[in-house]
Amino acid sequence: MIRNLTYFLLPIVALLFCACKPKFTKEEVSKGEINPTRFIMIGGGHTAGYMDDALYSEGQENSLANLISKQLALVGGEQTFYQALVSPNSVGIGLSGFARFILGFKTDCKGVEALSPLRISSAGDASILSINTYNSMQKFQNFGIPGLKLNNVSTPNYGSINPFFGRMASSVTTTVLSDAIASEPTFFSLFLGIEDVLDFAKSGGTDDNMPTVDAFENDYTQVVETLLNNGAKGVLAKIPDITKLPYFTTIPWNGLSLDEENSISLNNFYNQLGYSFQIGINPFMIVDSSANIFAVRQILENELFLLSLPLDSVKCNKMGTLFPIRDEFVLDLNELQTLRNRIAGYNGVISSLATQYGLAIVNSDNFFANLNDGFIYNGVSMSAKFVSGGAYSLDGIHFNAKGNALLANEFLKSINQKYNSRIPLLNANSYDGIYFP
Amino acid sequence: MYRFLFTYLFCASFLNLSAQGFQVNFQGQKQQGMGFAGTALFQDASSIFYNAGSIAFSNENSVNVSVTPIFANVLYVDSATGGAYRTENPVGTPFCAYGLFQHKKNAKFKFGFGIYTPFGSTVQWEDNWIGRFAIARLKLQAIYIQPTISYRLSKKIGIGGGFIYSKGSVNLQKDIPIQDSLGNYSHVELNGKAAGFGFNLGVNFQINENFSLGLSYRSKIKMNVKQGDADFSVPSSLASNFPDGYFSGTLPLPDVATIGFAYKTTPKCTFVLDINHVGWKSYDTLAFDYEENTTSLVDTKSPRNYKNIIAFRAGAEYKVSEVLSLRCGGGFGFTPVQDGYLTPETPDANRIYGTLGVSCQFNKRFSMDASLYYTHIKRAGRNIETNLNGTFTTIAIAPGFSLIYNW
Repeated sequence: MIRNLTYFLLPIVALLFCACKPKFTKEEVSKGEINPTRFIMIGGGHTAGYMDDALYSEGQENSLANLISKQLALVGGEQTFYQALVSPNSVGIGLSGFARFILGFKTDCKGVEALSPLRISSAGDASILSINTYNSMQKFQNFGIPGLKLNNVSTPNYGSINPFFGRMASSVTTTVLSDAIASEPTFFSLFLGIEDVLDFAKSGGTDDNMPTVDAFENDYTQVVETLLNNGAKGVLAKIPDITKLPYFTTIPWNGLSLDEENSISLNNFYNQLGYSFQIGINPFMIVDSSANIFAVRQILENELFLLSLPLDSVKCNKMGTLFPIRDEFVLDLNELQTLRNRIAGYNGVISSLATQYGLAIVNSDNFFANLNDGFIYNGVSMSAKFVSGGAYSLDGIHFNAKGNALLANEFLKSINQKYNSRIPLLNANSYDGIYFP
Repeated sequence: MYRFLFTYLFCASFLNLSAQGFQVNFQGQKQQGMGFAGTALFQDASSIFYNAGSIAFSNENSVNVSVTPIFANVLYVDSATGGAYRTENPVGTPFCAYGLFQHKKNAKFKFGFGIYTPFGSTVQWEDNWIGRFAIARLKLQAIYIQPTISYRLSKKIGIGGGFIYSKGSVNLQKDIPIQDSLGNYSHVELNGKAAGFGFNLGVNFQINENFSLGLSYRSKIKMNVKQGDADFSVPSSLASNFPDGYFSGTLPLPDVATIGFAYKTTPKCTFVLDINHVGWKSYDTLAFDYEENTTSLVDTKSPRNYKNIIAFRAGAEYKVSEVLSLRCGGGFGFTPVQDGYLTPETPDANRIYGTLGVSCQFNKRFSMDASLYYTHIKRAGRNIETNLNGTFTTIAIAPGFSLIYNW
């Protein structure tokens, strides 16, 4: 009886196991109206995979351009996407010559130990910039070049000006654009303009070489038309408000914490200029030549400190109180206005070119703004907060891999919308963020 | 000056509520065979659960032991990436045992005792699935113990009531989006034991030889987790942000009011219909209170916003012979989960299900029941809290068996 029952039941149980798995039918993908065969992208650090203030291999593997190419490969793009990769073991090198950041413990001037970005090595890997990696059989497709400004895209001999291009250029005299064309793109993406405004912002407004909107228009038009001559379609991306990057938002304007004694002595010193201090939090003092004959004033609520501010000097050497903080560490209201107006002007150009030439446009400015407000992505809180926000790398300007995946999805959405394609998006949760010790 | 504020939301997803919330009504094989209906009918000792009033019409001592393995699998297809992820659930084994006693033949008082597991599922998502930061694993166990007394007021009316003591445990695990120096994600495990009290009332009217009516009410039970253990695995630099410690929380198990009808067309053929009203509205928020809060670890309140629902269950029984009875049934239940609140631990939807059943009366004292339940449900949506956006497809099959001994 029991035996018979077993014979009877076993197949039933086996059947139940099989029958109760829902069947997965893969959703259809489609390239729509684009030819994804060979994709190239031109841009700056974000496009290059520059992160943690350096170019290094993990960053490049997760570059905006590489992530987009991976998804294009799902709808018929080539499986290979050639980038000028750095050796996997390299500590990388940044625009300022340093190695990449990692998160570690740092002891400040007061002996307080805290998590902080540290250089992984005392020096950057200079060999990265001295070796040319061009290979005519495997022409590069990622023209994301740290520091690449729009008006340098067609500059001859640019490789000798910017070694990040020099290491991948086909010749000494070539331009970024002609190398890009030589790769015979069938589809292109441009993420240009950030580097044009970044120098101004990172110098606290002291280094004003931002192109005029007219010059930007001329240059951008030329780049787009050259790429279109080749018969390719493409996607253009707008420029985010870079003053909302963690590099500019992490140090609070009113981070000056005073006890009674310090507030009295500062009041004795500054009251005659019309500035007063209270016990608790106060605005820092900054240099402003137009403020008064002493060229000093309190920073205003909407003005920004840069992450380059030497915090030990602030904590231990009276910087920001008796010694006002220099202009190179501050974006004041005028500078912010100049910067934002210029970005808006550039974005107007990019939008109208996209419309004029029937190209997809990424409202990356909206995406960055949403990130500033914070959002939840598949159960993960993402924001523009330094380190804890989840999307930015340790330089506070460039994304980490997760952030690049989120931004790449914005490009893919725009392409899908414009060209009626169905390119799957990336699962950003499967990309790395910051590693904690 | 750098302050690292981690306010990762411990967004919710606590106790699993499967099968129209957590009404896993595998509490009697005969009722299971008839679409879970049977409030108007004394079937066997399992009526202690379905309608404590109906056991007043029994005339036997009886012991009934039953188990219903659940084979349930969920497929999640993410709408943005097209990626597919599955659960790897172990087989659930809800069981129940009932004893029904009278001190003499035809006694007006009946005494009953029921032990059953109205919750008992484990939802285990595959490793590294896209929603791993919302939920990775949820194991829920609850045992209800219900001593019951029933009284036959007249030949037509039986009433009964039981006290419910509920004891349960929960184990919830998920990943935290913080990586250590090797890139491994952090993890949290919440482990708690809960207990609660409630009651079960029923009235059964034998209106005439053919027609009967049943009303039953099972109260809401608040399952309180006090001093559950929260265990965090995080990088050492953040250990003080995520202190291991106690947490507390409450899960309301809703009240269920049922009206049931039974109609015998012939002595061999019976039809039953139950209509349930389930007070899911009480499950509006899932709150976690951590004993020790930090800037990273804050108490959370997750909206659930369940709504009250109605479910219809119907079935038929045909006595082929003294030995053999056959049953079939089915039902339809509205989901308490509103749009925007679909979660991977409760991928619930309006559902239609079907059931089959069979009984063998081996001899006067000994009988065996079996039943089979099948449902296939599918629902797409975006969760407003986690922004998980995709389609859940669930298939559940539950074959059940019971042994009954009468004297």
